Amino acid sequence: MTPVTTQHTPRTSSVSLRRLGQSLELRMFGLALLIAIVLSALSPHFLSANNLMNLLDQSVVIGIVAIGMTFVILTGGIDLSVGSVAGLTGVILGLALQEFSIPVAIGLAIIAGAGIGLFSGVLIAYFGLAAFVVTLGVMAIGRSLAYIFSGQTSISSIPFELSDLVFTTVLGVPTNVICLVALYILAGLYLSYTKGGRTIYAVGSNKEAARTAGLSVLFYSILPYVISGALAAVAVTFLTAQILSVDPLTGNLLELDAIAAVVIGGASLYGGRGSILGTLIGVVIMVMIRNGLNLLGVSPFWQGSAIGAIIILALLIESLLSRRTRS
Amino acid sequence: MTSRFLAGDDQPILIASQVRKTFEQTRALREADFELRAGEVHGLLGANGAGKSTLSKVIAGQITPDAGRLTYKGAPLYNRSVRDALEAGIAIVMQETSLAPDLSVLENIFLPELGRRGRLSFRDLRRRAREILSGLVQEKALPLDVEVKRLSAAQRQLVEIAKALALNADLIIFDEPTASLSPSEVEQLFDIMAQLRASGRALIFVSHRLEEVFAITDRISVMREGATVAKSLETSELSQAELVRHMVGRELGSIYQAPAPLQVDKKGDEVLAVSSLRAAPAVRDVSFTLHRGEILGLGGLVGAGRSETAEALFGLRTIHSGAIRLHGKPFRPRRPRDCVRAGIGFVAEDRRVQGIVPDFSVRENLLLAHLGARSSFLLGYRRCRQKVDELLELLDMPAHRLLDANMLNFSGGMQQKIIIARWLMLDPTVLILDEPTKGVDIGTRSSIYAMLRQISEQGVSVVMISSDFEELLGVCQRVVVMSDGYTIADLPSSLLDEEKLTLLAAPRTSTERNTRLLTELTRRYGGAGFWAILDQDRLICLNAVVADPNADPGFQAGHSPQFGETAIPAALASRSPTFVAESCGIKKTFLMPLPSKRGHDLGWVGFTTASGTPPSVAEIQNIIGSFEDISQETEAA
Repeated sequence: MTPVTTQHTPRTSSVSLRRLGQSLELRMFGLALLIAIVLSALSPHFLSANNLMNLLDQSVVIGIVAIGMTFVILTGGIDLSVGSVAGLTGVILGLALQEFSIPVAIGLAIIAGAGIGLFSGVLIAYFGLAAFVVTLGVMAIGRSLAYIFSGQTSISSIPFELSDLVFTTVLGVPTNVICLVALYILAGLYLSYTKGGRTIYAVGSNKEAARTAGLSVLFYSILPYVISGALAAVAVTFLTAQILSVDPLTGNLLELDAIAAVVIGGASLYGGRGSILGTLIGVVIMVMIRNGLNLLGVSPFWQGSAIGAIIILALLIESLLSRRTRS
Repeated sequence: MTSRFLAGDDQPILIASQVRKTFEQTRALREADFELRAGEVHGLLGANGAGKSTLSKVIAGQITPDAGRLTYKGAPLYNRSVRDALEAGIAIVMQETSLAPDLSVLENIFLPELGRRGRLSFRDLRRRAREILSGLVQEKALPLDVEVKRLSAAQRQLVEIAKALALNADLIIFDEPTASLSPSEVEQLFDIMAQLRASGRALIFVSHRLEEVFAITDRISVMREGATVAKSLETSELSQAELVRHMVGRELGSIYQAPAPLQVDKKGDEVLAVSSLRAAPAVRDVSFTLHRGEILGLGGLVGAGRSETAEALFGLRTIHSGAIRLHGKPFRPRRPRDCVRAGIGFVAEDRRVQGIVPDFSVRENLLLAHLGARSSFLLGYRRCRQKVDELLELLDMPAHRLLDANMLNFSGGMQQKIIIARWLMLDPTVLILDEPTKGVDIGTRSSIYAMLRQISEQGVSVVMISSDFEELLGVCQRVVVMSDGYTIADLPSSLLDEEKLTLLAAPRTSTERNTRLLTELTRRYGGAGFWAILDQDRLICLNAVVADPNADPGFQAGHSPQFGETAIPAALASRSPTFVAESCGIKKTFLMPLPSKRGHDLGWVGFTTASGTPPSVAEIQNIIGSFEDISQETEAA
């Protein structure tokens, strides 16, 4: 019937997808280096210790949110609500700080974030609704509740002790940066070396095959949204510690930065492909561009265009390169 | 509708001669000839892949033939598209309908007209739609303003037919139209077809359901391996057995080669027992047992419910009733994980959809079921190392570095072996494979067979689903035949051949009713009931229910003994609707033909009793007669 094909010779010699993924991360790391070199050449302030610290600080919020986004995107989903969940949980944190101790208040905010994620996740994974639409709805609800709970104003009576989270240093490294790195290591280990992590990849790559192999598709489709919501609350906690004030508008458009970082990091929006290391590089690229444009004095109105153009360009080049490697 | 083509004239409305069509390497049509008259229903028959669907698609313009000539109404016909065929007046009604689900019935009937320029008069369309439906005596069956997606399968078909009539089609092809209809809906469709025939149209009825072909067609053409092997036979002069003879292309005698042994091979312990499994709609009543170290085949035609049975057993489909026992304990899988942890593996039919994780390396694909069976937090890949090495040897893929390569870089056969090996990682007790050699090259095919034999020798029980009867008989020790969601036979493959499988697997609309009839007879009077096709001095048993072992007629569903080999030779020879006693004097058998509503042959029903005073013949005839009525009523309700 069918012609006898060559039996077990892979068509491309020993180029595994994982290696291809690594080389993709390598390429993105190269891009990050290139941007750093260009910026340091253009602006003498770029490499100053002050600015580097600044860069790290700015990375914390996007970076933490992007971890959750990576989990979600790996399953083939998307979470548009992280920005407004950050806003809402920020307001909850601000209000809770008026009543409770700092750890309790932070705990409440994280639980609230996780709860919102659970809500979205159940609607998406159990009821089969489109992730884009569900999280779009949650985004609107979250922002609206943030305004209502805060009474439409910012909450500035944040206890000063909260800023210890940011200004305490260990061996000269601020705690928020340590926390960021720790979260990245944890997430990376989880995704590579645990049953849950591999299940998340399998679900995103081929949900039916994962189900047929006996994996808990439902649980691991919901979990990423819970993680994403909880991490949005963690991120806003660090932000609040930095500026000691909560605004209901906090986290506006944060989801777009996070999605862009994940995608620049090589993740596929169809799921199954991507890595935590890639996301970290994506975050650094995003933050550097923003920071660099500020340093260069580019008008804030032009910054959006510049960032958008760089994102599209990076993805286009990547797509062209990977097409060549695969064929 | 004035251009009716000389109804009743013997001049054919359509002649197809020497039609050929090759798809890539398969020759779908080698030498197809076909002739159709106006005012007839012409049956087009053949086994899976005989070319009947290809031929009807050629006539309907969906496929352009490589060679051959079509003559329609006396002039050459060149269909380059469905549109050409429609313009000529040729329409096709298919199983998968071509309707727009969100538009109303009316809009669908006149869909081709919606593209015309100018204003549409809906009042006009509505009037014409009523005319068409009343022409079919179906004006009540179809509300014109309902969206098509809310209609039943039968109603949708009616819309398709009306759509064909709206275009003044004179030739309508029905391609397996009854597959998704209930018996009473089938009757309704046949009424409609009879109306169309009476109005002088020519109908082609493509089917592998023998009973229905006998019920509705006037003439029959049979195809085999892309060629017409029997052209325009008169239906009234044919028997089921003769028809099968044409379909399988051998003398029917060869079907009966093997004698019917009443002893089956020695078996290991019972591992999996399925009884009366129902998972609507595709799985209606499935029972079989699986023994340790056995390779069991699940045979039947495409759409018989075999894959769905496997999916139900594997927790991928909701089970509505029935019982499954695994190692003697009740087992009710709700999700695949239950099965994976209970030691059942499942290689699904479509490995791209249900097997391969494309972004994973070969290693992780191999270990995927291991992950599914695992309940701890970490991966535990390292401890599988030795097992992976063993499997690589089995896979004939010793190069360890290939483990990190992407699955998609391998041939279909290798991919399939990896998916099978995924389950072997778990040392399963039961492995279910759905069409494991589909799209697999010949070399790998035989290595898959060898792999299955090897694991069955190690004690794994294997269930293999295949539409390739030759493969099924070659690999399996025993074959359970399914048709229309029922298991209808369970035989060692030494007793089977391809022809017998074809006859058994042909779906029969009356299966459910006749099974209920046999159950009812034996419930009331004990004894044994059977349903069989009688042919000269042989019978093919389609079903048998034995309540009293003393009354066992000596054959089971699927057996095809000579009369002399059964326990009731005298009764079978006399074929009379009275109780005929055997020479031993204990068994008395009543036998009567089962006519359908339309008077065609559905085989014979028999009742054997071992009690001294058999029930009255009139009473039994009554029950058989009443059963027909009851089944009609329940269908209507």
